[in-house]
Amino acid sequence: MKALDGVSLKIGSAETVAIVGENGAGKTTLVKHVTGLLKPGTGDVTVDGQNTRTTSTAQLSRKVGVAFQNPDHQLFSESVEEEMSFALRNFGFAPELVEQRVRWGLELFGLEEYRKSSPLVLSGGEKKRLTLACILAWDPEVVILDEPTVGQDSIQKEKLAGTIRMLTSSGKTVVVVSHDIEFLWPMQPRVVVMKAGRVVGDGRARELMQDKRLLDSARVAQPQLVEFFQRLGERPEAPFADPLEARRWVEETRR
Amino acid sequence: MMWLSGGFIFRRGTSVYHRLDPRVKLLISVLMFATTLLVRSIYELSGVLAFMIVVAAVAMVLKRVARTMLFTAGFSVFIFVLNFIFTRNLDTSLLYASRFVAIVVSTSLFFITTSPDELEQVMKTFRLPRDVVFAFVTAVRFIPVMFLDTIQIMDAQKSRGLELEKGNVLKRVRNMIPILIPLVVNSVVRSGELAEAMESRAYGAVPKPTSLVEYRARATDKVVALAAAFLFALTAYSFYFVFPARIL
Amino acid sequence: MAYILEIAGLGFRYPESPKKAVSDFDLSVPEEEIVVLAGPSGCGKSTLLRAVNGLIPHMYTGDYSGHVRVGGMDVKESTMRDLAQKVGFLFQNPENQIFMFTVERDIAFGLENLGIPREEMRGRVDEAMRLLEIGELALRAPHELSDGQKQRVALAGVLAMKPRLVILDEPTSLLDPKTAAELVDLVGRLRKELGTTFVVVEHRLDLLVKVADRIVVMNDGRKVLEGAPKEVLFGDEAEAYGVTVPAVTKLQKMLASDGVLPPAGLLGPAELAHAVEGNLRR
Repeated sequence: MKALDGVSLKIGSAETVAIVGENGAGKTTLVKHVTGLLKPGTGDVTVDGQNTRTTSTAQLSRKVGVAFQNPDHQLFSESVEEEMSFALRNFGFAPELVEQRVRWGLELFGLEEYRKSSPLVLSGGEKKRLTLACILAWDPEVVILDEPTVGQDSIQKEKLAGTIRMLTSSGKTVVVVSHDIEFLWPMQPRVVVMKAGRVVGDGRARELMQDKRLLDSARVAQPQLVEFFQRLGERPEAPFADPLEARRWVEETRR
Repeated sequence: MMWLSGGFIFRRGTSVYHRLDPRVKLLISVLMFATTLLVRSIYELSGVLAFMIVVAAVAMVLKRVARTMLFTAGFSVFIFVLNFIFTRNLDTSLLYASRFVAIVVSTSLFFITTSPDELEQVMKTFRLPRDVVFAFVTAVRFIPVMFLDTIQIMDAQKSRGLELEKGNVLKRVRNMIPILIPLVVNSVVRSGELAEAMESRAYGAVPKPTSLVEYRARATDKVVALAAAFLFALTAYSFYFVFPARIL
Repeated sequence: MAYILEIAGLGFRYPESPKKAVSDFDLSVPEEEIVVLAGPSGCGKSTLLRAVNGLIPHMYTGDYSGHVRVGGMDVKESTMRDLAQKVGFLFQNPENQIFMFTVERDIAFGLENLGIPREEMRGRVDEAMRLLEIGELALRAPHELSDGQKQRVALAGVLAMKPRLVILDEPTSLLDPKTAAELVDLVGRLRKELGTTFVVVEHRLDLLVKVADRIVVMNDGRKVLEGAPKEVLFGDEAEAYGVTVPAVTKLQKMLASDGVLPPAGLLGPAELAHAVEGNLRR
């Protein structure tokens, strides 16, 4: 059985893409192909012109930062600042630049107080922020987040959404693999739906998430606001991105 | 690492051999092991190796055993060379090198056909303390998990620019640190979680826990055990009395 | 009313910490209720759970004050052996609570530890597998299972001990939404079939709202909110405490305060649409 079957996907710069699908649909497998952790049996994967068969993962990672789901699979240094400089040193950043980027990352993610602490004593949420900080420090053009909201409370998710907005507005390509449809919905990304190793849907969230049949067959949840929108007799053109939008529409329609 | 997993990790099987009582499987491997220690010539050893191949075929694990033999043979070249340097004797060097292969294969045969549950049963038969048996079985149960963890850790660190394939020996060893530390830390954390789960399910509540499954030796097992013992006795006898030492 | 769980003035401080992980905590849970425990990371939920099943104080010692009573038994005074038969704990990571190489043997683990005779064990294991619909996995090895299946196996192992109260620690975090919804339905079904009480720690409330009788929110070791799901989710404080309020609930709340909607229970997307329509036509 193939883990991936005839997948063709083009992602351009400054795009925000969500990859959804049930466990085992091939989402993580696909992500691993982007940086050459897995090499395709047939077909090719190219990142900014470089073929993943002939370029090492380390080199590809300079351009594509992948934040894996489990921070405990990466943290190992004696201090948070050392942890943050690990990748920078691997990528050959000059020492002054390393210091600058470490400082920037710690500030952005509110981790300055932990600079000299061991990364292993941080809480789960802090570890996740740290791994993301480590990646952004080397400023890749593409950032891939694999299930970034698992185990996060709403405050942490808000912060994460803010970080993604910041990345998108600074022109980065952001790919989020997630089950958390409610988290993804307000971002209105391009959505790629996967099922059994294939891409069964690819389009704007606004349209795609209305296709109940597709979503059901791929075992993907439909955002609550889309269901709400579809059940309204009289409604606007596109589903509401957030509760405030919906409320505004109700107000206007009442007049 | 792949070779290690191919040679010693249990995989489910349906052959008659797999279905033997694990104590009988242990006996067979031990007797094979003992036989390799008794042989004094390369001819006798090749007979033992041939027997092992036949058993592997019966157990339907021939491909894995053959691969194990090959990889171990590569390793044993080292033994051969070392031995030759000191004894200048081709035949003994060859014997020692191949004996190593035979020892590894006899051990491998046991582990690849015996499940951790069966291993547990064997250990219980030898009256090992419950904690030891439990620790061992749990450790074996987590081998595939740790294997996967290692791959995930390597993936994560490669994605941070760690080049595992480049550099001299010293550099490569240093590059193992970002892999080993998370692995060890995860294992420690895992042990903690396992301890909590054990406590929560009343581990140690009763000095003599009961068992869901009972292993009882069938007639077939007894017959095979007897046959193996008989074969061993015959072989030992023939080595010593029928075919006197040719070399050494 | 029979309270299966009574927590009175519970306080606990780990030896390495200067601060209390839980303080002045009171909670009474009647039988057959499903209680959801929520709160931001680090609020003391994990500590509280462990004080309920006995790991605190039996495995983790520290500064302990107050009482926890489960099924009439005082947790501090009872042994883990007795507690394990009253309180089941499904930990967050299913992998690290499956010990045996075979599913059915792992389900029997707790029973073996208690010295239950083989025939009774067999019956209980089969029953647990039936309840969780995992009969065909009986002889599989854990590494051959998906996360959802592993979780069911772990839960079967817990249920085989026939506890009156079951604690689930973030059970949906590793599952996709459909599997998570199936788990929630399963919990509802088990409550009905077995009369078991459930305490579920969760962030993903949109799924649990269907079956939850009560939501309790913790912050900084204390209880800060408690009430029926609607009360808590409609309140202004829930979000401040890291509780993820579902999108349509937020909307319903806004529309209710705008006077657009009459007061009602928690509405799902379809029901809310219907209510809004009805109101717009006027």
